[in-house]
Amino acid sequence: MRLPRFFGKKRGHRRTGSQAWGSFGDGAFHGALLLAGLVFGGLLVSGVAVPEWRINHDFVATPCTIVGKGLARTAVQDRSGSTAATWQPRLRVRYEADGLSHEAWSRPPSATAATDRDLALGRLATWQLGETLPGWYDPSNPAVVVLERGYNWWMWLLALLLPGALVAFGGSGLLRAVRRWGRSEESQAAAAGLNDMLDPLSRVPRHAPDHPAVPACEDMVNSPGTILRYRLPIESPESWTLLGFGLFALLWNAVLAVLAVGAGLDLMGGRRDWLLLALLIPFAVVGIAGIGLFIRGLVLATASGTTQLEISDHPLRPGQRYDVLLAQGGAGTFRDLEMTLELEEQATFRQGTDTRSEKVVVARQPVQSWRGVQLVPGTRFEAHATITIPPDAMHSFASEHNSIRWMIVVRGRPARWPAFTRVFPLIVFPAPATGARAGGEAGS
Amino acid sequence: MSQPSDTGRASPRVTVQFDHPDRRYEPQDAITVRYRIEGLDGERTQAVEHSIAWYTEGKGEEDLGVHFFERVTDPARLPPTSNGGEFAARLPSSPLSYEGVIVKLRWCVRVRIFFQASRDFVSEHVFDVGRIPPTRVPPARSP
Repeated sequence: MRLPRFFGKKRGHRRTGSQAWGSFGDGAFHGALLLAGLVFGGLLVSGVAVPEWRINHDFVATPCTIVGKGLARTAVQDRSGSTAATWQPRLRVRYEADGLSHEAWSRPPSATAATDRDLALGRLATWQLGETLPGWYDPSNPAVVVLERGYNWWMWLLALLLPGALVAFGGSGLLRAVRRWGRSEESQAAAAGLNDMLDPLSRVPRHAPDHPAVPACEDMVNSPGTILRYRLPIESPESWTLLGFGLFALLWNAVLAVLAVGAGLDLMGGRRDWLLLALLIPFAVVGIAGIGLFIRGLVLATASGTTQLEISDHPLRPGQRYDVLLAQGGAGTFRDLEMTLELEEQATFRQGTDTRSEKVVVARQPVQSWRGVQLVPGTRFEAHATITIPPDAMHSFASEHNSIRWMIVVRGRPARWPAFTRVFPLIVFPAPATGARAGGEAGS
Repeated sequence: MSQPSDTGRASPRVTVQFDHPDRRYEPQDAITVRYRIEGLDGERTQAVEHSIAWYTEGKGEEDLGVHFFERVTDPARLPPTSNGGEFAARLPSSPLSYEGVIVKLRWCVRVRIFFQASRDFVSEHVFDVGRIPPTRVPPARSP
């Protein structure tokens, strides 16, 4: 008897492992999440939401007279054995409920706990014996009275958000697993629309109308050019690096600022936390280095000037020629400026728990290059060129894990600044069908 | 190419005939496929699925796109009453078959037989859409 395989592994044309057991494991995992969300949500609703809702809707109003005052002490012992106590004001009130007089201790309005007993006593002194306060008693248990109503919105948010996320994620995953149960991969793929909606992690690209698996190009034809028809959007890898440096510097220095303010308040209060002060020094060094790297990246990205590319038509077709206008801003001398038409394959795969991408340029066609370009501030270098998509070229393709991308790449080597690479994606459609062939004779 | 999803029992054979003997089609061509199932050894079937699909091969995770799908459950069209069938569709304008370096795109016809013993058997037959030549890696750029 063979044990079931819970995993799948791609081996050439076939995939090993049991699809049924895989679906069962997926369903069990999401079912557990759904159950956890329902239980957690039920506990929060019954323990927090329902009592609060009852206070605001079911409890009956009654005037309460203060007949006693006191402090409630709550002691918490930490791991080292020392005890920390908090003090909270309490009022003993007399009130009428169902024609009977009751007395009970209750928390006064806006009474917060204090670690300092004298502070809590000071707060307690603001209420006078014999004073009358509005109160509300529980009609099902008149011994319970509250002196304050309202909602704790943070608690409601917590009660809804966390269990809600578990229920949504677990429920959609369970529904997806049920829909997949016993169905072939072709059947699942044929119903991809609903499955994609149920899978929040699915990243299926948008496709061009009437061209399945060819990426949509609406976003690439919504910017008119100054001379040619369209201005191509830029996809600069340097911009993402710069954004990464900027985010890192911002987040790191925000944490540093919080720690520094805490240390400063301690120093002003006469306390010195040497461990915190010692930690602040390397943190500050990293923070300053992060700002420095960001500023350096910003200077490098802007110093060599902007690159713009315009094209006479879009999307492109195999065998067709297109005019391209290159406009390079900046100042100083460029040793080289080069434009190439490239075709790149990109594959995304899982390696262990990581998701990795690999790119390979499989076709590179030089378009034009320039040497010793002299740029004058306030003007831009402009050059016209022509690109031709080969007649037997593959069209652009994009699926969830694989893509085939056409692009114009501009590489520059300024004399005073580091070299740069700027990528302008293109969409190439398949050549128009020349007319479908009639069905031929049968073969095998 | 036929392969069982689960081994150990009868291994059927599915022979397929394309209406283009060279199995080469152009985008938006009509495609007609006839198939015959043999070697069931009396095992009872509950459904047969026909599909025309593309899938990716290579370094990345496999992606699958189904262009035509049909599930046959009518006993009159299933073995042992009927040991074969035919289905037809018009191909879409994309994607085209592609033999890249790390991404390959193949079109195929699949006949999947579901047995009453909760197992299935799939037979896959590749064909070409379009005439894109295989890709080779260009020489690395000089610095």
